[in-house]
Amino acid sequence: MRCFIGIDLGSTTTKAVVVDENRNILGRGITNSRSNYDTAAAVARTEALLNGRFYLFRQALAGTGALNGSLDGFIEQLERDFRAEQYMEQLEDLHETCVRNLVTAHFGADTPAVGEALEEVFRRLKAEAPSLFAPGARRKSDFFRDIAGSQYLAIGEQVAKEANTRYDYLLNLFDRSIIEVENRVYADSVRRHLLNALERTFIALPESSARRAQVEAPIKGVLDTEMEDTYTVGTGYGRARLPFSKEHIRSEILCHGLGAHVMYPGTATVLDIGGQDTKAIQVDPKGIVESFQMNDRCAAGCGRYLGYIADEMNMGLHELGPMAMKSTKAVKINSTCTVFAGAELRDRLSLGDKREDIMAGLHRAIILRAMSILARSGGIRNQFTFTGGVAKNEAAVKALKELVHENYGDLDLNIDPDSIYTGALGAATFAWRAVLEDGKTAERRE
Amino acid sequence: MTHTIGIDIGSGAVKSTLFRVDEGGGIHWLAKRCERIRRRDPMTLAHEGRDAVLADAGLAANDIDYIATTGEGENVRFATGHFYSMTTHARGGVYLQPGIAAVVDVGALNGRAIYVDERGKVLAYKMTSQCASGSGQFLENIARYLGVAVEEIGSLSRSSQDPEKVSSICAVLAETDVINMVSRGISTPDILKGIHVSMASRIVKLLKVTGIKSGTALLTGGLALDTGLLAAVQEEMVAEKVPVEVASHPDSIYAGAIGAALWGAYRHDKLQELQRQAAA
Repeated sequence: MRCFIGIDLGSTTTKAVVVDENRNILGRGITNSRSNYDTAAAVARTEALLNGRFYLFRQALAGTGALNGSLDGFIEQLERDFRAEQYMEQLEDLHETCVRNLVTAHFGADTPAVGEALEEVFRRLKAEAPSLFAPGARRKSDFFRDIAGSQYLAIGEQVAKEANTRYDYLLNLFDRSIIEVENRVYADSVRRHLLNALERTFIALPESSARRAQVEAPIKGVLDTEMEDTYTVGTGYGRARLPFSKEHIRSEILCHGLGAHVMYPGTATVLDIGGQDTKAIQVDPKGIVESFQMNDRCAAGCGRYLGYIADEMNMGLHELGPMAMKSTKAVKINSTCTVFAGAELRDRLSLGDKREDIMAGLHRAIILRAMSILARSGGIRNQFTFTGGVAKNEAAVKALKELVHENYGDLDLNIDPDSIYTGALGAATFAWRAVLEDGKTAERRE
Repeated sequence: MTHTIGIDIGSGAVKSTLFRVDEGGGIHWLAKRCERIRRRDPMTLAHEGRDAVLADAGLAANDIDYIATTGEGENVRFATGHFYSMTTHARGGVYLQPGIAAVVDVGALNGRAIYVDERGKVLAYKMTSQCASGSGQFLENIARYLGVAVEEIGSLSRSSQDPEKVSSICAVLAETDVINMVSRGISTPDILKGIHVSMASRIVKLLKVTGIKSGTALLTGGLALDTGLLAAVQEEMVAEKVPVEVASHPDSIYAGAIGAALWGAYRHDKLQELQRQAAA
C-alpha cells in the first residue's frame, strides 16, 4: 500500500506520522533525537510504520471476528510483549557495549571490581525487565535511554554500595555506552520481535491461543503487506541535516501551522511548546502561516524546562502535571534560568514549601513566557490550538486557560491528545499533497 | 584545642573537612571527603560526609566543637552555624595558598571572582548573572553527553587543534548543541576546548571587575582541577593583558569546606571568650 510519511526532527524528540492515500493516519512513531540524525529519522520512521502495523492488525482481526470482545486486550498484550522483546534486545546490546567499554575506560586497578559490579547490575536489570512491561506497569518514559537509564542509576547505586566500588565508574560506563546503543537501528528485528511477542501473547492469553490459526493468519497477512514509502517530507530543528533532498524539506513553522489546521480546521492561532522551542503562529483559514514568533535560545518556557525539573525531582515528566494540580496556592518562581529555577526549587523544598505549590508556580512561569511570545506574534484569536509535548500537561493547560481568559476573554481552546505529532502530521500532509495534488515523485537525496 | 567540621553543599558535590586548631593558632587538617551529588539527596550526603570525616580522624561526634556549613547547606539540621560562601571560599583559598590576591570559584552553577587581602578578608567580588550558560553544569552536561569522564576533560581539551567557538548557550539546551556539533563532525577535544575558552573569557571578565591589579588568583570549586579550563584561563589572561598569575591546588575543591571549618573555629573561640567574660 502507498504511504506518505512526515518526519519532524525536533531538538529532543523525533516524530514520524504515516498517512495512507485517503489521508487517514495509519501510525505515529517517536524517538529521542541523537547525534546521528539519519538514525533518529530512521528509528522514528520504523516506529511509525510499526504503529501502523498494529493499526492494520486491529483492522484485520476485527474483520475476522476471531477475537470478538477481547480484541483490545489482545492488541495491548501483544504490544507490551513486543516492547519487552525490543527492550531485552537493547539491554543485551547495552550490556555487551558496557563490557567492551570497560576495557578502554581508565579505571586502573579498579577495573576487575567494576566489571563484577557491572555484571551484577545487568543481572538485576534483566531480572527486573519483565515487570517493566507487565499490565498496568508505569514507566517514566517510553525511550530505552530513559527506562534503562533510570533503572541502571538506581541499581548501580545499590550495587556500588554493596560491592564497595565507585558509583561514578558505573555511571561513566553507562554514559559511554548508551550513545552507541541508541545509535543503532533495530529495524530488521521488528518482524522477529513481533513473531516472538505473538508467542508470548498466546501464553499470556490462553483463550486466544485456542483460536491460534484464525488469529495468526491475519497478523501474518499484515506483516507480509509492504508499506511503501511513497513520499516523505522532513521538518523540525534538525531538518537541514535530514537525509532528504531539498525538495523534501519544509520549515517547522509551515508544518506546525498546517498540522494544527488538519487537526482543527477552524484554527487561527497556534501555540506550540516543544522541547526547546516555544512558537506562536497565526494561520489563515487555509492553514497557511501569516506570522509567527519564537523564543530565543533559552530553555526557560520550553518543554525542557519541565524535563529538567522532573530530573531534579527524580520524577517522570508526566507526573509533574498531576502533582501541580493538587496545589492550593502557587508559589511565585523568581528565577528566569531553568538551572537556577532547579536550585530555587531545592531551596523552596528545604524551606518547607509544598511540592505541589512549587510545581504549580513552575507551570505558571512557563505559560507566562508563552503569553508574551503570543502577544508579540499578534495576540490570541479564535480558535486557539495548543500543540506540542507540553499540551499534554494538565497543569500547563490550566495555567494557560486562566491566563488566556484574563487577557483575551472566552475563546475555543483545542488540544489534540496526539498534539506532539502536529509538525510531523503537517509534513505528512505536505507529502500527500506533493503526490496526489501536484503529481510529484520522490527525489533522490543529493 | 578546637575541632571543627566544615561542610560545603554545592549544587554538584558535597565536600566535608575536619580541622583541629590549636591554642597557639596551629591549623591541622585531619580529614576530608568529597561526594558528587548526581541526583542524590544532599542532606543525606552531608550526614554521610560528617560521619566519614569523623571516622577518618578517629573522633566522635561530641569531640567536635563546631559544625559549619556553607553553600546550599543553610538547612543542615546538625550544623552549629552557616557561613556565606563568598567568605568561606576566600578563607579556604588563602589557607590552601597563602599570599594569593584573588580566589576564582567556578562551581556547577555560578562563577565568582573574589579579591582578598592576606588574611582572607573579602575586598571585592563579582558573580555571574542569572543564567547558567557557560557554568560548570553546562560543561558537565556536555561531557556526559560525549561520554567523557570529568577527569578526562582537561587533557582532551588541551589536545584541541581548532576549538569550536560557542557563543552564549543555555546550559539546558547545551545537549542539543552538542548533538549538532557531533553531527557536524567537530571532534570531542575541539568541543570541550571551545567551552573552556568561553568560560575563561567570562572568568577573566569577572576578575577584571573586582579591580585586581597583580598577584596570583587561585581557582577553587568543582572545576579547579580541570587543567583544560586552567590553561584556557591562563591564555585568556595573557590575551586580555591582565597581569595576574592563575594557579590551582590539588585540594581546590575543598576551599569552601575548609573556609567554613576555619571560620567555625574562629567563631567558636570568640563565643567561648565572650562566655568566659560574661562568667567573670
